[in-house]
Amino acid sequence: MSAYLISMATFVGFFMILALALNLQWGMTGMVNFGIAGFYALGAYTSGLLSVKLGWPVGITIAMSCVTGLIAGGLVALLSMRLREDYLAIVTLGFGEIVRLIALNEDQITEGPRGLKIDARPFADMFDRETYPLVYLALVAAAVAVVFVIVECIRRSPMGRTLRAIREDDVVAEVLGKNVLRHRVQVFALGGAFMGLAGALYAHYVQNISPEVFMPMVAIFIWMSVIVGGAGNNWGLLLGAGVVMTILEGSRFLGDFIDFLDAEQLSAIRIIVIGVLLIAILRVRPRGLIPEPKFSFAASSTEQGRQPSTENAK
Amino acid sequence: MSGQLIINGIVNASLIAPPAIAFSLLFGILRFPNFAIGAYVTVGAFIAYALNVGAGMPMWIAGLGAMAGTAVVVWLSDVLVFKPMRGHTPVTLLVVSIALALIIEHIIRLFYGADVRGFDLPLERPIKFAGLRITGEQIDIIVMTIVIGIAIHLLLQYTRIGKAMRATADNETLAEVRGINTSYVIAFTWFICGALFGLTGVFAGLDLVIEPLVGWYLTIPIFAAAILGGIGSPYGAMLGALLVGLAEELTVLVLPSSYKIGVGFVIIAVLLLIRPHGLLGQPEIKK
Amino acid sequence: MNRKITRRSALITGGAIAAAGVFAPSIARAADPINVGSLTPNTGGGGPFGPKITSAHKRVVDLVNSEGGVLGTTINLFQENSETNPETAVRAADKLINVNKVVGILGTWSSSVTLGIMPKCQEAGVIQMCTSSSADIPVRDEKGYVFNFQALSPVWGRAIARLALRRGFKTFNLMALNNDFTRSMMDGFTEIVGKDKLLQDSFYYNGGQSSYRSEVTQLIEKNPEAVFIPSYVTDFTSVYKEIFRQGYEGQVITVSISTGEKFKEAIGDAANGIIHGLPVPPIKSPAYAEYVTETGLEPTDGVQHPFGTAGRDQMSVLLLAIEKAGSAEADKVSKAIWDVTTGDGKETVYNVTDGLKAIRAGKEINYSGASSSVEFDKEGMVLGRDFQLAEIKDGKDVVIERLEF
Repeated sequence: MSAYLISMATFVGFFMILALALNLQWGMTGMVNFGIAGFYALGAYTSGLLSVKLGWPVGITIAMSCVTGLIAGGLVALLSMRLREDYLAIVTLGFGEIVRLIALNEDQITEGPRGLKIDARPFADMFDRETYPLVYLALVAAAVAVVFVIVECIRRSPMGRTLRAIREDDVVAEVLGKNVLRHRVQVFALGGAFMGLAGALYAHYVQNISPEVFMPMVAIFIWMSVIVGGAGNNWGLLLGAGVVMTILEGSRFLGDFIDFLDAEQLSAIRIIVIGVLLIAILRVRPRGLIPEPKFSFAASSTEQGRQPSTENAK
Repeated sequence: MSGQLIINGIVNASLIAPPAIAFSLLFGILRFPNFAIGAYVTVGAFIAYALNVGAGMPMWIAGLGAMAGTAVVVWLSDVLVFKPMRGHTPVTLLVVSIALALIIEHIIRLFYGADVRGFDLPLERPIKFAGLRITGEQIDIIVMTIVIGIAIHLLLQYTRIGKAMRATADNETLAEVRGINTSYVIAFTWFICGALFGLTGVFAGLDLVIEPLVGWYLTIPIFAAAILGGIGSPYGAMLGALLVGLAEELTVLVLPSSYKIGVGFVIIAVLLLIRPHGLLGQPEIKK
Repeated sequence: MNRKITRRSALITGGAIAAAGVFAPSIARAADPINVGSLTPNTGGGGPFGPKITSAHKRVVDLVNSEGGVLGTTINLFQENSETNPETAVRAADKLINVNKVVGILGTWSSSVTLGIMPKCQEAGVIQMCTSSSADIPVRDEKGYVFNFQALSPVWGRAIARLALRRGFKTFNLMALNNDFTRSMMDGFTEIVGKDKLLQDSFYYNGGQSSYRSEVTQLIEKNPEAVFIPSYVTDFTSVYKEIFRQGYEGQVITVSISTGEKFKEAIGDAANGIIHGLPVPPIKSPAYAEYVTETGLEPTDGVQHPFGTAGRDQMSVLLLAIEKAGSAEADKVSKAIWDVTTGDGKETVYNVTDGLKAIRAGKEINYSGASSSVEFDKEGMVLGRDFQLAEIKDGKDVVIERLEF
């Protein structure tokens, strides 16, 4: 059981890094990203391929994953700077799908649908098989901590205030003399780098990646984490990632006790429950379990949709 | 080959045009991309299947039943899910619509499983002319789509309710002030769109295969068509459908078909970069 | 894992430990009986097949339990849905391995799932039984824990090609669903018919598309005598409708998993004339007849539930091997799997009940199953399944050719 919990905690760690990155992009800056699976895949394949095909040391390949994520994030942001947020949702979703299609079709490089087997693992020689999962969990936890600190520092800095201003109304931010484009590109690129990092850590943990791993569903789980936890609030989404994973995995244990439904019905019910819970949480606590603390300027924002929706809480 | 590909593209277009119009109309009042449209289409396909194969009704009655039934389901999804959440950010609503799509898809799965199904209709061989091929059924679908396009046009231009729909889409508050019962208008819009999704379900069941994901497969082409045409513009949606339908077919001339599924996205991306408000859409004026 | 680490890990996992309390009873309970895991594709690409494997696993376990279990203890079966998605499957496997402490994980179907959970299974010493087809499976199974109840897919492609050549077709075009199973099947087919018989380059298509019109137009453009389409049932149904609607008059050849009962119901009369091939159980095998009775199917000439039959065999073989090994340790069980399935001069048994009786009577057995006679090569890949080509006539499969091994 404890081995299972360690493993799930590791998976929650990947979710947390992705959720923190999304929070930076969307929760704090208002830039929608539905291509999370694409950045995740990019990180996983970058590190995996460099280590499998070129034999580079894992430390360097993981760093390279951050770099590819950074570049991809920057490019996507530059390309889509003029888009409204819901259009950006579709363009980023497309980015994710195209990354997956490339991984699927360019099999001379990526091994295509067969999937890529990755032997290399960080620090694997230094520990025995029993302790290694804990070591990996510690590594992922450290990565979460680093990402958390960076994102939290940005949030508290003057830059964080600028980002929120962009989120609330980019025209006003522009008028106030903020370089909206530069901030957006920076934030999206940084978020992309974090997602790349998560992908690399995932790849060396599961040691076998294939294009099917990186379906758009991954993005949906991360969105759930951020929204459930409370967009804009970094502590909240750490909780959100835990809650989402608990719902996803916890419902597995139901199957061990309920035997009047067949497996197909049970898995259908499981996803129905996840969907209903998500909608219910959004109805009851529209700003998440731990909402973002209010900032004075937020109250003066005129955009209706951005207002903390007291009228919806009734 | 390219002649046939153009015919293929027109058939594709007539499948995605009605839901693209519906998506566009809904976007006008909702202001967020509703990802549950695919699930609505699937609902239509399964209602038609239940009536046609389950209850043994003729196809045209099953089709009308699917339109009515889907309209009710779609309207209910507004009453139960979206209406209480009006005023939330578009992105929150978008996530809600994804959750709703998952719920609907898996309710269908709960009852029908993942097996493939088809209507009780024989498959047709094509009519051939000048080396090109088209079936009678496909001609029917094209004609119906054109009729629907014209009907929606007439509805929006010349009827009271249509004008009220446009007014509500333009500016809900202003429409309310002018004495339009906007909640009635919104409910009406949901019904009309639901009927169009239901009809698309029937078309998709005829063209592809009835299974819990059939609507999902159409979602991205529908989005692409609506965005290409300019969201909120039904005529644009028809034009968009034609372009997306053709582009998906003609892709094989230049790209391996294993990349075809990405074409919709690339169209969306490229077009949005050049004309962020679509071909026939109006640029949004920032306040 | 020693106690000290356990306690430390409990501290580290912090909040998650609350959940441990909830599930603690299941650990205590799981100490004595033998635990077996089933990880099947109940939704997603394998959705049409997974539930049949699931219920086959359950039937065998229920049967054995009702007759007193194995090694004097009951079998606990833990069933999970892989969603045909390796991302989900890895976590499901983690639960089966670490919480339910299963001996083996049975029933994975998609190669990406089988390969995806392999690193975890190998590390934890868990036996895998699958019906996957990637040629990478034996290569990546370093410990000899993986048993595949399905012929690798190039074998399918080669067999179908031989049977197709016998029917005298001279020109072909091919397109395959874009996954490992169907792609390598296409390669196997090409290997036998030879590139010169193909009128144009073969290509792949993706499932889940809104239309397959351009692919079909491309496929039939040069009007080959036959087209071969390795596929799954969902995409093939749409593809075949389009082939028919575009007026192709030549021979359509595919794999039988795409043309099951549901396909024939969905397509109706237009399905007549399709030729399809599949590794089959020796159809006169008593084990297959028993499977048909157990599931309450109508006996037909055609092959039903190609993966459900394998599910029955997987569970039967595992339980027989545990009884034979006298232990549920992976190393012993995996050796015993060869003992109870492969080799001459043993008593042939067709079901788990007879097998257990024979083992307890001290006899050497060779299990012959509903999916094949279940003989493994040294890599744990099933040997020589018969192969048959059938034609759909009046909505029924009529066997036209058979390759026996």
